[in-house]
Amino acid sequence: MIPQALIRNFPYLLRGAEITLLLSAASVALSTIVGMIVALLHVFGVAPIRIAVEIYLYLVRGVPLLILLFAMYYVLPYTGIDLDPLTGGILVIGVYYGAFMSQVFRAAILSLPQSQWDAARSLGMRRLLMLQIVVFPQAFRIAAPPFVNTCMMLIKSTSLVSIIGLWELTMAGREAVERSLAPFQIFAGVALIYFCMCYSLAWYGRYLEKRMQYVH
Amino acid sequence: MPFDLNFVIRNLPIFGNGLVVTVELSLLAIFFAMVWGLVVAFGRIARSRLPRTLASAYIELVRDTPVLVQMYFIYFGFAMAGFGLSGFMSGLLALSLQNGGYVAEIYRAGIESISVRQIEGGKALGMSPWDVMSLVVLPQALVRVIPPLANQLIVLIKDTSLVSAIAVADLTQTGKLLTERTAASYEVFLTVAVFYLAMTGIVSGLSRLAERQFAIYH
Amino acid sequence: MSIDALPVVAAPMIDIRGLSKRFGSHEVLRQVSLTIPKGQTLAVIGPSGSGKTTMLRCINLLEEFDEGEIVFDGSPIGYRRGPDGRRRRLPEREIATTRSSIGIVFQSFNLFPHMTVLRNIIAAPVRVKGMDRTAAETLARDLLARVGLSDKANEYPLRLSGGQQQRVAIARALAMQPKAMLFDEVTSALDPELVGEVLAVIKQLAEDGMTMVLVTHEMQFARDVADTIVFMADGTIVEQGPPKTLFANPTSDRLRAFLKRYHDAYLL
Repeated sequence: MIPQALIRNFPYLLRGAEITLLLSAASVALSTIVGMIVALLHVFGVAPIRIAVEIYLYLVRGVPLLILLFAMYYVLPYTGIDLDPLTGGILVIGVYYGAFMSQVFRAAILSLPQSQWDAARSLGMRRLLMLQIVVFPQAFRIAAPPFVNTCMMLIKSTSLVSIIGLWELTMAGREAVERSLAPFQIFAGVALIYFCMCYSLAWYGRYLEKRMQYVH
Repeated sequence: MPFDLNFVIRNLPIFGNGLVVTVELSLLAIFFAMVWGLVVAFGRIARSRLPRTLASAYIELVRDTPVLVQMYFIYFGFAMAGFGLSGFMSGLLALSLQNGGYVAEIYRAGIESISVRQIEGGKALGMSPWDVMSLVVLPQALVRVIPPLANQLIVLIKDTSLVSAIAVADLTQTGKLLTERTAASYEVFLTVAVFYLAMTGIVSGLSRLAERQFAIYH
Repeated sequence: MSIDALPVVAAPMIDIRGLSKRFGSHEVLRQVSLTIPKGQTLAVIGPSGSGKTTMLRCINLLEEFDEGEIVFDGSPIGYRRGPDGRRRRLPEREIATTRSSIGIVFQSFNLFPHMTVLRNIIAAPVRVKGMDRTAAETLARDLLARVGLSDKANEYPLRLSGGQQQRVAIARALAMQPKAMLFDEVTSALDPELVGEVLAVIKQLAEDGMTMVLVTHEMQFARDVADTIVFMADGTIVEQGPPKTLFANPTSDRLRAFLKRYHDAYLL
């Protein structure tokens, strides 16, 4: 039984996958930047800033990403801001996953034993230098596996932008199904492409985890 | 920006209907996921290779594909095949299968976290493997899985919003339709967000309560 | 209370006056006063919970203290009494500068695992004191030779034994050319056969005239190396004096009871 519909539409799906990867890459970049800033604010900020961060985290953890995408799509035009769906999608996903990234980075920074801070301080290092040569290099390595896993979650989440009309892999899939009337085949193919992207990340994340156990 | 509270109050019944669907879907899905997850977990830790491989492959499959695509697969696939499932059923099936995979991993981590020495202690007392499992390991593992399970439920509640894409009148779909009808998008989405925050907040609170209750045993 | 028999001729290197610290309702240090003259080695002994480690960590302000003053080589550490008599915290810059002239070695070595041994040693001199990198490397290799680890310069800390890591930690502290060195139970975490190599390095340092404060359980070593022994319990100094008199004729019951557990030091 050859999946003819899938084979015919595969190039079309792959073009959708390109957009998915683009969207994911941009969102990962944004969420990483947001995550680093928020993590530093969360760890080193004064009390009011820390409270603001905790509110931000509470909101993101408790509201579905789809609602935020809808809010951007339906509400934003009324405030006068005009965003094209692609930029809007990147912004929403980037800020949403910024929260998860900040948790990853914060956990990595806090996992450093107090003894490392003690040693750095006792050598006369000031905070900026400490962060630069002692804390961040170690935190990076610790954060790598959960960072990769969060990237994987982000890629899956990009499928939601199809609901607000953005064209990417999932939307390409829906269009292909309408044309070919072979939903099992097409969506299996779509799932397969996502699987390839995510499985390689999942595998890489596990590899990083194993490497870390070896070093420490 | 002015907020029309009266609008919200007037349409509270409509929001309520959507909320009910979301809650139903969430509770059913987490229940099935927890049952199915147990089956998959036992497959995962089985001694023979076949169930282990099948279970691992299954978990990997549902974890590395978007749940929206899984929903589309089931909804449109079965419709085309002749025995169409409703949006609710498709969503329920997809959510149960996907979360079943995650729950299985939560169970596995919980079971494996019980110190090996306790199992050895049980065996030394002459308990059968089944006794060790049911009297020593499972009760303790059950307590340890409560926080991650609560977390999974929160993720699930948020994922139910996706069924709005397959024509289910859940809270999200209700909000979307209301916005398109009345153009009061600001009020609608704020209200919807608050409802979701309330649901996830309740689950978080209950989880922390449960943790504190069981903390005595540690 | 026994009298310190050593006359102080010059300004002390470390002068602790009325040091007090509370953890919640628990008083960890109670009005501790201590003087360490330049070039002298002081060993602090006592049961766990006596506050000896806390006191040591207050000297370079790794721990904050609530009352009292610590003066290091003439400058106050951490806090200053303003003209209005109130206690004011010194700026971070000054605290960091003072810290860089006090070397400390920890029980768990605390080396930076992501840096080689060499980089561990030169990182602070280069980045904190602005030392030229080549000069720092020369100094580092010199120090590694002094502690007997010349061949380990490019190793990563986790590949070394505990004793070797501790000796690197000593070299790292010495690289800042400190005026005094603090040692916080530096052999407690080591396997017994590795203790000797570390103690040898410390002994050499003492003979070279470094001002040192050691918190230790090694009674024999304290006897051999220290000029003064200080016995602490419950957050205060119970007795202090030269090793020979302190160990041979303890005047307080507390110390007598403590030393009973260290039979060999007591007998000798």
